[in-house]
Amino acid sequence: MAQLMVGAFYNPHLGQELAQATGIDHLAMADPPRADDPWWPMIRERYTLLLHDYLGQLSEPLDERAIARARSLAGLYRSPWVAEHFQCLHTEDGTYNLNYVFPPLYTEAFLDRFVANANALQERLDQPLVMENIPGFFDVAASRMPEALWLRRFFDRTSAGFLLDLPHIWLEAHYHRVDPRAFLADFPLERVVELHVAGVEPDRDLEGPWIAPTEPSEAMLELLHHALHHCPQAKAVTFDAFSPTLTADVLQRSVARIRAAV
Amino acid sequence: MTDREIQDSLIRALADAPFRSTPGWREQRLADPSRLERFARFLARHYYYERLIHFFKYSRVLARITGRSPETVLTGAGFDGLLEVLVLGSRASAIAVATLAVDHVRAGDGARDQVPYLEDLTAYEHAMMVVESGARVWSDGSGAEATRNQWSVPIRAEGTMLLDFAYDLPVVLPLLLKPWTELPQAPRRPTRLLIARSPHGRVSVARTSTAIDMLLQLADGRKSLDDLARDAGLRPAELQATLEGLVEIGAVRFSLGS
Repeated sequence: MAQLMVGAFYNPHLGQELAQATGIDHLAMADPPRADDPWWPMIRERYTLLLHDYLGQLSEPLDERAIARARSLAGLYRSPWVAEHFQCLHTEDGTYNLNYVFPPLYTEAFLDRFVANANALQERLDQPLVMENIPGFFDVAASRMPEALWLRRFFDRTSAGFLLDLPHIWLEAHYHRVDPRAFLADFPLERVVELHVAGVEPDRDLEGPWIAPTEPSEAMLELLHHALHHCPQAKAVTFDAFSPTLTADVLQRSVARIRAAV
Repeated sequence: MTDREIQDSLIRALADAPFRSTPGWREQRLADPSRLERFARFLARHYYYERLIHFFKYSRVLARITGRSPETVLTGAGFDGLLEVLVLGSRASAIAVATLAVDHVRAGDGARDQVPYLEDLTAYEHAMMVVESGARVWSDGSGAEATRNQWSVPIRAEGTMLLDFAYDLPVVLPLLLKPWTELPQAPRRPTRLLIARSPHGRVSVARTSTAIDMLLQLADGRKSLDDLARDAGLRPAELQATLEGLVEIGAVRFSLGS
């Protein structure tokens, strides 16, 4: 395995702490820096930055405006790769929008769409594209194949890397009442470039756990340790928390615990 | 139905609470209704959390004085009561949720006495959140430029707001987001602001001028550029510059002339 970077997301309200922090190799950028962010110049200077913004859903082709934005942000960050998600969260006509990650149907038609649009986007980028798995809270009758198989077939037909979000795997395994290691085994781990790790907390609407800006549990860190043995191309592990309620203590402790786990 | 249409139906069901109770949706039997409902409610709380955090950021800063954080309404009975009627992104839902937040912040003990411009500020935040709502253009598509070149008649965009305030809020807004120990004050002077949204969803605020006020009143989708210049008493260059600025922020769009 190559030298593994351990980092977090850039949370602008923690700009001062992050500008002075130690033990963090990289920061993922979920939003462009605000023009009045006093810490941004220092952040850009000292960290490897990973583009992890919403560029567009690849169930449709990205238009020129979205591609130009992706290229501009990747250049600004000097990002070693560019991330997007296996998601389809707004209707084709733009009327309805969930504003939250939501997976596509796992069908041949959606596979063709994502392959074509990811390949088209990759041709326009100067950096490799990586794609992140998205959890489903419920099964959809119209899906025609397991998520892991759909992803494997996607990666077989593209040069994209895999951004493996482990809490997403953990949650799906939890809600399907299967062991997360067994659930993980079917995914194309040999294509993993980056991993996400996060905490989970009970959610009152879901009546069960979901991603939260808290420290990862020991079980999550054990799953990370296990996964890394099967991800020979992994280059980075990122503490996936981006929220105005996240504290500097939680962020730094989480990164330290992830580093110890890898 | 195509797979894309099925996906759209799922997205609508998660976003549109009344749609979930229609026979048309139920007969599709795409997902366990109980689990889908739980996820829809989770999404609704998340959707409006993000908006309250963003659009009510000044009230959040002032919570140390008012004791009222706007986003706490999302865990209250008022928001729970809306869950059966919310349509994520709709104007009506934005108004309902923003009103909950405004009422909550204004009801803080002595809040208005301690922050004289609180009424204006919360009205401004309410307007920002409402203007942001509505369907948006997610992709320009390949024919957008060709179509745009055919348009010629300016019309005030739906949802664009002109708001009058007793305090000059643009002076105090940036100060509130910087570190402070003594509450920043807003000068008390009548101020009119224009709030508009671009087709892609970016919300902009601008002070108005006489020319802007007049153009927004006259741009009814029927008057040509020549009509507008004459009625507003503007020179062609002045008209063009003002219209370009209004189009850029989404306050005015061009429709096909009749």
